[in-house]
Amino acid sequence: MKMKAKLLLVVMLIMSLVVAGCSSSSSNEEESGKVVLKFLHKWPQPEFAPYFEEVVKEFEKQNPDIKIKMEAIADEPIKDKLRVILGGNEVPDIMFSWSGEFARKFVRADAALDLTPYLNEDAAWKDGFIPASLQPFSSNGKNYGIPLRFNGKFFIYNKEIFEKYHLEAPKTWDEFLDVLETLKKGGETPLILGNQSPWAAIHYLTGLNQKMVAQDVRMKDYNPASGEFTDPGYVKAMEMFADLNKKGYFMKNVNSSSHDMAKQLFFAGKGAIFYVELEEFPDADKNMKGNWGFFPMPDITEGKGSQKYITGAPDGFIVSSKTKHPDEAIKFLKFLTSKDNALKLVKQIGWPSPIDGATNPDTALKEVAEGVEYMKQAEGMAEWLDTDVHAKVADVYLSNIQLLLDGSKSPDKIIKEVQDVAKQVKSEVE
Amino acid sequence: MIKTFRNRRTALLYIVPALLLILFFVFLPIVLNLYNSLFRWNSFDAGRTFVGLKYYVRLFQDPVFLIALKNNSLYAIISLVFQVGGGLIIAAILEDKLIRRFQPFFRTVFFIPSVISIAVVGLLWQLLYNPEVGLVNGALKAIGQAEWGRSWLGDSEVAIYAVVAVSQWQYTGYMAMLFLIAMQKIPLEYYEAAMIDGASKIKTFFNITVPQIKEMLLVGSVITVIGAFKVFDEVYIMTFGGPGRSTEVLGTMLYRAAFRNDEMGYASTIGTVVFVITLVLSLIQMKLGKSGQEV
Amino acid sequence: MSQPAVKTKNLTELSPGGTHFGTKLKDRMFQAGVLVWFSLFALVIIYPMFWLVISGFKSNSDFFLNTWSLPEEWHWGNYISAWDAGIGHFFLNSVLVTVVSVLAVVVLGSMAAYGLSRFQFRGQNILLILILSGLMLAPQVSLIPLYKLLQGLGLYNTYWALILPYVAFQLPFSIFLMRSYFLSIPRELEESAIIDGCNSWKVYWHIIIPMGKPIIASCALLTGMNVWNEFMFALVFVEDSSLRTIPVGLMNLRSQLNTNFGIQLAGLAISALPMVIAYIIFQKQFVRGLTAGSVKG
Repeated sequence: MKMKAKLLLVVMLIMSLVVAGCSSSSSNEEESGKVVLKFLHKWPQPEFAPYFEEVVKEFEKQNPDIKIKMEAIADEPIKDKLRVILGGNEVPDIMFSWSGEFARKFVRADAALDLTPYLNEDAAWKDGFIPASLQPFSSNGKNYGIPLRFNGKFFIYNKEIFEKYHLEAPKTWDEFLDVLETLKKGGETPLILGNQSPWAAIHYLTGLNQKMVAQDVRMKDYNPASGEFTDPGYVKAMEMFADLNKKGYFMKNVNSSSHDMAKQLFFAGKGAIFYVELEEFPDADKNMKGNWGFFPMPDITEGKGSQKYITGAPDGFIVSSKTKHPDEAIKFLKFLTSKDNALKLVKQIGWPSPIDGATNPDTALKEVAEGVEYMKQAEGMAEWLDTDVHAKVADVYLSNIQLLLDGSKSPDKIIKEVQDVAKQVKSEVE
Repeated sequence: MIKTFRNRRTALLYIVPALLLILFFVFLPIVLNLYNSLFRWNSFDAGRTFVGLKYYVRLFQDPVFLIALKNNSLYAIISLVFQVGGGLIIAAILEDKLIRRFQPFFRTVFFIPSVISIAVVGLLWQLLYNPEVGLVNGALKAIGQAEWGRSWLGDSEVAIYAVVAVSQWQYTGYMAMLFLIAMQKIPLEYYEAAMIDGASKIKTFFNITVPQIKEMLLVGSVITVIGAFKVFDEVYIMTFGGPGRSTEVLGTMLYRAAFRNDEMGYASTIGTVVFVITLVLSLIQMKLGKSGQEV
Repeated sequence: MSQPAVKTKNLTELSPGGTHFGTKLKDRMFQAGVLVWFSLFALVIIYPMFWLVISGFKSNSDFFLNTWSLPEEWHWGNYISAWDAGIGHFFLNSVLVTVVSVLAVVVLGSMAAYGLSRFQFRGQNILLILILSGLMLAPQVSLIPLYKLLQGLGLYNTYWALILPYVAFQLPFSIFLMRSYFLSIPRELEESAIIDGCNSWKVYWHIIIPMGKPIIASCALLTGMNVWNEFMFALVFVEDSSLRTIPVGLMNLRSQLNTNFGIQLAGLAISALPMVIAYIIFQKQFVRGLTAGSVKG
């Protein structure tokens, strides 16, 4: 081909692509006169996204004067993205947030709208929620977030493997260790863990910290303004986790496997136990076809914290304090958390809903309903350590847990670093 | 000189659009960066607190800063050895009369990785390094060296080398191509003379090839070193600085401070330090470039 | 345009006849050794890409269980799914951003280079140094201030948030390259054109641009490649998925398609192929552009 002909071809191709691209992107800008709400969630996955698309469509049908501009960013990237976006001048009206400190830092910066009046105004709406799901989104007695899911963390196990060794779901930490030892002796991989993104290991520590440290001490430490982390329970909790690794209960190469990859290994029967969130139960059931059971983190007899807590937290949405349409935003949130849509959420994607009665054995997978039952009966929730402490403290925990697992750092050294950064944070938060 | 070309206003008309863009988007940010580094602030909070030079003090005491500096330097040194050194040898061999027949094929293949986006390369290598499904451990097993297998990106002792290795994979062929082109400008007579003198290949390489492409070598080295201090994409994609902070470089350290730890001021401080480092390196480059031309 | 950038010189007639046997054996061994080495290196480059394309056809379990073999079943749908999952859109965005940036760099850069190479005026050197010092700056220094600046201007989260910084960061080097090249264009032609009554714009348009074509092409290619692959700015300066370019889109796709590795790999393959194919077709231009690109300093 001659040079010019080649160039011409390429230019024509490019032009046609550009024209196609422009025409497709400009089509949705002509709706004027409508209230446009920007809505940001964190589930772009093809399994989940359709639910949100359908709900939004239905809402727009019922409210022809409101247009929802939906955007979705996945779990790991949204941690950075939310910060980037909140600094902008086009902040989404409604956006995803974890509960706890993650949401509270936006509250401190006056970036989140106080939703208390709206909740109080509509008692039916407020009372629809399981109380424990609203509480983690509150700060100084005010509500700043509306939960969408009620998520808990449980160990799931491969029934076939458990039966092979005549094992039962452990109730106490010692029983748990016995189970792991038996599995290891039998040549199985006792625990599957994918810690490439270190929140996976931090979820273990979330429960261990809660069970090892007295509640009031832990709450004081998790508060950025008073955190010290001097209780010996923190080191002990981390040692217990490190022991699981030292004794060889975890699979190999935990730091270079992602949680999703590890999940595939568990589904393929390559390990006996895996620590997952309630929202992953439907996926487990689909792949394991009944060959699985679950149990919460076992009790630690010598622990100073309550043994009746469940690790987990609600996550949901906050409303931007800069929104020009608070009423419409609330209207949408009410729609999203209506009983109908909660039922749809449970049925369609199998997530546990915070709406009372929505997650029951008729609508949800048996195990999910049981999980929610556990959570309802629990004395409280241990919220995710990486979203419940100040970002800088979380960062020290997150990055060091990988070093703990590859053996290059010891628990007391890590906790020392946590204490140092907590001190720094304390001096910065007024 | 013709009058048309002495009209200052006309000249500025041609230059100003580009100049304004550069001033506004390249230079202004540097000044702002310096200013920003004096405050404690984050992206989503309107308020900011003046902290003076506190962040600079903290940076120089921060052990992670040392890790990042070490990693950037490691990047520079390894890249010098493999991309510049290795590239030079590969280019010289490709130019050897015994190999020249195969040159078009090899130079095309070696160059390919450098046209692929780092995002693709990073995500691809992350899978290749995966100990369960990756090809790296698989290949080691295939040649009977399974015990060399590692959890490449998950082991804080080897992760940085694994990341640096990807850059070598990507850019060695590019450097080789640059040297190849420079070598082809060397007059043939030099080689003929050497051949008549009966000089060996190695002698010819050191006595003729290297001195003749000295300038390109210098340029290649400087690009490589400065590039090593601008690294961000590879690390962000493959390890995000982990495991722990073992693969942190200045670029990812800045990003983490800004968008994970909500310390925009600290991030700006890191930015200013990166600016100073690259500025110094560039000045050295200009100095070397000048002396190179004089020779 | 017909002269290849990389020549293969013909040196064969130089070898002083088949000397004695020893040299020949040594040559053979050298040749064999090098060929083995280079072939291994080539394998290390080609095989992962081959594996990428092939694995893109696999189902999830196939990918996990039979990493090395060919797919049990060829899932062509993976490529379609990857395209639909967003690669298609990211691709268009990348094309749009790249084309606009390249055009802007070529137009503004050649004008500035013309102004700096042909005109004589006071302050010329200062302007030159100012523009060229833009060469040295690492983009991450500007990340945060630019992010705030773009927000202040209301450009954040638009195509302009990418295009304007890209153009500004690519301009200094393009100006540097074009200026050096323009300086080497003989001036007689221009001078006679001006005597014939042409103004400076006509000289630029009818003489400089046509004569400077090779360097303009190189600059366009260099800018194009840099912009196409840029990651950091694209990560921070846009938020809507409808504006994402390929590199950032791919990162998001990884977490979005967390459970389907086949589709992820198909997405990677789709993103890599255009550049590889373009390189193989336009090899000559690529090499010349990148060579020009190396002559910094």
